[in-house]
Amino acid sequence: MSELIETPMIHTMQGNLPIADLEYSTSWEVADEYTKFIETYKLNGEIVRQSAHVLAKQGLFGESLTQTL
Amino acid sequence: MANTQGIGGAAKQAALASIVNGKALKAALFLASATRGPSDATYSTTGEVSGAGYTAGGVAVTNGNSAGLTGTTTFWTPSASIVYSSVTLATAFDAVMIYSTADANRNIGTFTFGSTTVSGGNFTLTMPTNDASTGLVRFA
Repeated sequence: MSELIETPMIHTMQGNLPIADLEYSTSWEVADEYTKFIETYKLNGEIVRQSAHVLAKQGLFGESLTQTL
Repeated sequence: MANTQGIGGAAKQAALASIVNGKALKAALFLASATRGPSDATYSTTGEVSGAGYTAGGVAVTNGNSAGLTGTTTFWTPSASIVYSSVTLATAFDAVMIYSTADANRNIGTFTFGSTTVSGGNFTLTMPTNDASTGLVRFA
């Protein structure tokens, strides 16, 4: 009976590739209105998958106005 | 005790409710080079991103919240993250417009988040806490 060996794969612009073959990096961008997390997978220096996740910290604020009589 | 001038909180809540409560909303992404914003009355494809996995008009917004009211500030936020799955958007984008397909594509609001690109991955917008301090849309 043969042993089944599973290789973790990830979907990229070049199809499914073994995660172990890819260079993984992350970066953060922090602003007052949002925090952005970017994760990048590269194969031989070329980006094959890049995702971005934005956390909105606050939305749009409108102030109502009234006219003094 | 003096009187206080101002628009009633319940009236502001009713105004916001009329454009968001139970409405079918969508979220479209726009290029960093575009000039979309609050002066746009409606959604249009001008300046919208394009790329693999992205359909013009964007994605549906999960709208399970109604306009809330705390004190005299009314607020509303989508009830789930907005996710664009397995997209390639190689030209930088930095804005999302939430608009109402139930009201002739009325522009509810345009929100910016810094220049971004995505390659064969996901773009996720996680919403702020839905309250009078951080809700996505607030009128005080």
